[in-house]
Amino acid sequence: MDRKILLADDDPDVVEVVSILLEDEGYEIVTAKDGAEALEKIKLESPDLVILDLLMPRVDGFAVFNMLRDPSYERWSKVPVIILTSVREEVSNRRYELETGQRMDYAAYLEKPADPDLLLETVSSLLAQD
Amino acid sequence: MRHKIIHEIALSVVAAGGVDNIIRALVEATARGTEARGCALLTVQADGKSLAPRVSCGVAEDRLHEKQILVDEALKQVLKGNSLFVWDVAGDPRVTHKEELQREGIASIVFLPFRDQSRVRGVMRLYFSENKGFGREDLEFLDSIAELGGSILQSAETQERLQRDVEEARRDLARIRDERRHFLSFLSMVTHDLKSPLVAVQGYLKILLRKSAGSLDERMVKGIHRSIERIDGMMELISSLLELSRLESGQVISELKTVSWEEVLGATVEMAHELASPKGITVTTEIRRPLPEVFASDIRLQQLILNLVSNSVRHTPRGGRITIRAHTENDAVAVNVEDVGTGIAPDHLPHVFEEFYKGDPESPEGTGLGLSICKRIVDMHRGTIEAISPVPETGRGTRVSFSIPIGVACSLEDRWMLEGDRVIRVPAMDDTTGTT
Repeated sequence: MDRKILLADDDPDVVEVVSILLEDEGYEIVTAKDGAEALEKIKLESPDLVILDLLMPRVDGFAVFNMLRDPSYERWSKVPVIILTSVREEVSNRRYELETGQRMDYAAYLEKPADPDLLLETVSSLLAQD
Repeated sequence: MRHKIIHEIALSVVAAGGVDNIIRALVEATARGTEARGCALLTVQADGKSLAPRVSCGVAEDRLHEKQILVDEALKQVLKGNSLFVWDVAGDPRVTHKEELQREGIASIVFLPFRDQSRVRGVMRLYFSENKGFGREDLEFLDSIAELGGSILQSAETQERLQRDVEEARRDLARIRDERRHFLSFLSMVTHDLKSPLVAVQGYLKILLRKSAGSLDERMVKGIHRSIERIDGMMELISSLLELSRLESGQVISELKTVSWEEVLGATVEMAHELASPKGITVTTEIRRPLPEVFASDIRLQQLILNLVSNSVRHTPRGGRITIRAHTENDAVAVNVEDVGTGIAPDHLPHVFEEFYKGDPESPEGTGLGLSICKRIVDMHRGTIEAISPVPETGRGTRVSFSIPIGVACSLEDRWMLEGDRVIRVPAMDDTTGTT
């Protein structure tokens, strides 16, 4: 069975590179170019994993992450999230905690530019867990 | 003595009562004491050619509605510091508004110059309804009052100027803070936008490398590897530039807190091992505990030591050794990082902390900014840094030593900016990754 991954990033080239990488491994990829689209597609497509950029127009990744902890997204609250961003991990954590008062409990955090092997490894180990 | 006492009184009363209250009190008291019909104080304007009413009592208000009083020949004498007595308003040719004065029943006027040691700052006019005669003692006393008034006006002027300066400085500070905020958010946006295309290009190259394994010849594969490395170098350069601008503009102030040197070194040494071990380099430490706590940025202190270690790793051959030392000396913590590497040529040594200075300009490694960043971090903590090469004890390698004071660790200027700006919001596109 194909595992479905939602990839949310506003940079079309990053979307393309990550898609090539993951499709080669047999994953099904759904993409979103901003946070608002990501939130729609999560409900529509029910992905097994989300790869989320943080700095995006309209609705950013922080807001998407926070929304996934909202009761209206309860069905998807257990979907693992990989943060893939150019923001440093401690800076993101600090900002998220400051804004929401909660810890940002993502499954994995990869800083761009991420190593392809590391990304594949992270994806496969997270999907093997469910 | 008289000048000094009068000056001291002026300073104290102005400080205690406020300029306007004191001047009013002086005018009213003089009027009462001399049994004058009225009294007015005029101050000399900056041009020296006119006088402006400041305070009055007992005289018709409309006499004060003259906004400016031009200095005529008679007033000129007063402004030179001489008192002027008009005993008989009706018969004195120097009086211009005779009718008005007579209508108010004013028979004589005394003009007293308010002067300090340097110049006349104002004129007090005393109006009398009879032809007043003053004795010598009275005149001397009035002279003292005039001098006191002059000193008060002088203090008032100083105070007003100070107030203006303070307000101006406050406006400047607000503007600088504003500009700084704009600059920093501009900077992180630029950094993000400069890095994004590099991330994309590098992504394609990495994919290309994976997917065409075996179909590309060795030189092409090497070329793609080099491209990936060059992009890494460029991203490092962008991060370093951002870092340098940040340190320059004082944004790091938000990171200042009580920091334990022992914790800083503990974390740093661990990361130093990770940097050095892939090249087969050993990291040893000579840390003399206990080390104190300081008001500083732990992130920057770690970055400082790691920058030095990463330089050493770059210039030390496989199997070499790097030593990190730390101890307390004379109210400061002294740290040094020493290697057994290639060292720095004597003519390069004085320039190593300058921006973009690279010992070997041809070398593709390093941005030439690492040591300038170190210098900024040390400056921000009011410390000193120096490099020596070769290390005298071993005759080779480089030793970079820095010393950070234990007391007031951040600069006065930074503390000043900290006060009104304790919480500095992290802009959305802040702190993109990749700092060395």
